[in-house]
Amino acid sequence: MGIYSWAWTGLQIDFKSLQNSGGYIADFISRLFPPDLSILDVAWIKLLETIQMSLWGTTIGAVISLPISILSASNLAPWWVRWFANFVQNVVRSIPSIILGLIFVAATGLGAPAGTLALGIYTIGYLGKFYQTAIESVDLYSLEALQVSGASWFQIAQYGVMPQIMPSLWGYTLYMFEYNIRAASVLGVVGAGGIGFELVNYIRGFEYNKATTMMLVLLVVVTAIDIISSQLRRRLEQQ
Amino acid sequence: MSEIDRDSLSPAIVCHQVVSQAKITNRPVLDGINCEIKRGEFVAILGLNGAGKSSLLRSMAGLLPLKSGQILVNNVSVTPDTLKQARQPLAMLFQGGGLIPQLSALDNVLCGRLSAFSGWQTLQGFPQRERRMGLELLDRLGMAEFANQPTRQLSGGQQQRVAIARALIKSPQILLADEPVTGLDILAIQQVMQILADLHRSGMTIVTVLHDLGLATTYAQTGIIVDQGRVAYHGPSQNLGQEFDQLCDKVDHQLIKY
Repeated sequence: MGIYSWAWTGLQIDFKSLQNSGGYIADFISRLFPPDLSILDVAWIKLLETIQMSLWGTTIGAVISLPISILSASNLAPWWVRWFANFVQNVVRSIPSIILGLIFVAATGLGAPAGTLALGIYTIGYLGKFYQTAIESVDLYSLEALQVSGASWFQIAQYGVMPQIMPSLWGYTLYMFEYNIRAASVLGVVGAGGIGFELVNYIRGFEYNKATTMMLVLLVVVTAIDIISSQLRRRLEQQ
Repeated sequence: MSEIDRDSLSPAIVCHQVVSQAKITNRPVLDGINCEIKRGEFVAILGLNGAGKSSLLRSMAGLLPLKSGQILVNNVSVTPDTLKQARQPLAMLFQGGGLIPQLSALDNVLCGRLSAFSGWQTLQGFPQRERRMGLELLDRLGMAEFANQPTRQLSGGQQQRVAIARALIKSPQILLADEPVTGLDILAIQQVMQILADLHRSGMTIVTVLHDLGLATTYAQTGIIVDQGRVAYHGPSQNLGQEFDQLCDKVDHQLIKY
C-alpha cells in the first residue's frame, strides 16, 4: 500500500485536466477513421522493411548475447568475469531504444541500417539476460556428472549445457524477433527506418486516415507473427 | 614393491580431518571427518538430513572445496591442481541420474568418455568403436532398446541405469553414488541396488549415500553414520540399526530440551 501511495504522489495527476481529456481523445480517435487504403502498398513495403530490420537486428543481438550470457552465468564463469559481463548487460539495458536509435542515426544517417544496429544492441540487453537465466537453470547434477567424468569446460558447454538450453534459446529469440517488430516501429520516430517513420510523418502532417492504415497493417502482421511464433515456441517446448 | 602392489594394498579413499564450510553461512558442513575406505569395499553412508553425508561424498569427487584437511583417492590428493588425476579412477551417480534429458541414452553414456578425447574431436561426435562400447553397456543393463531415445522420456529407474552405463564406460575402480535410488519405485530400487552389488562382486569399490537403513544393511558391508559433519559410526553394516536408534534418541532428547 505504502509503495502505491508513494508512486501516486509522483504522478501529480491533475483531475481537472483529466476531466477535459476525454473529449480530446474522442476527437483524436474520430479523426483516425476511416482508414485511407490508398497507401496500402506503401504500408506493406515499409512493413516488410520493419520485419527485415527486426530479423537482422535480432540475429545480430542474439549472436552477441550468447557469449555475454555464458560469461554472466553463475554455473559457468568465475565471479569476476560474471561481474563484468553483468555490468555490460546492465549498461546496455539501461539505454532506451530511442536513444540507441538516435546514436546510430547520427552514426550511419537516416534509414533502416541505423534502426537495425540499434535493435541489435537493444536485443543484447534482453536476450543476454534470458539466455543467462536459461543457462543457470540447467540441471546442476548433469554438469557435475560431466565434471567428474573428466570432461573439459568446452565439452561440458557442448554436451551438457547446449542441448539443455537450445529449446528455450530458440523460444526466447523468436519472442525477441516478435518484440523487435514493435520496437522497430518506435525507432522510426527518430528516423531509424521502418514503418514508424511513415507513421509519425502522417501524424505530424495531420493525415490521420493514412496513419490508421499503417497501424492496421502493423496490427495484422504483429498478430500473424504472434500466432506463428507462439506455435513454433510450443513445438520447441515439447522437444 | 611395484606400483601396482602398493596400489592394491593402499585404501581406496582416505579422509583426514576434512573440514568444509557452507559458502554463505560459513556453517561447517563437514567438521573434521576422518575415515578410510578399503579397496573393494561396499560402503553405505547414512545420516539425517543436513548431516553432511552428501557433502562428504561430493568432497571425495572434488565437487566441494575443502577449508582444511585432505582427501586421498588412490593415494592422489584431491586438490584443484590434481583434480584430473584424482578423478581418473572415479565415477559418480547422482540422485535422479543427472543425465542430459535432451540427449539420447547412448549419447549420455558416451558423455562418460569425453575425457578420452579433445574438445575438437568430440565436436565431430564419437568414433564408431566408442558407440559400440556404449551400446554393449546399455545392453548389459537391459537398456539397449532405449539407446536412441531422449532420456527425458525414460522412467526414473531407466534413467539411473543409463547413468550407471555412463559411469561404467569410464571403467572406474571406485563408484560414488549420491542417493542413487531416492525417488525410484520398489522394483527400480532393487534393480539398481542389484547392479551395484554385482559391480561390487566384480571388484569395484562402492561408496553410496542411502536413506534406507534396510538397503544399507542388506547390500553394504560397512556403514558410516554422519552426524553434524562428523563420523558418528564407522563399522559393520549389521550394527547400523542399533547405532541409528542411538542417534535418533540423542536428537529426540535435544528436541525435548527445546
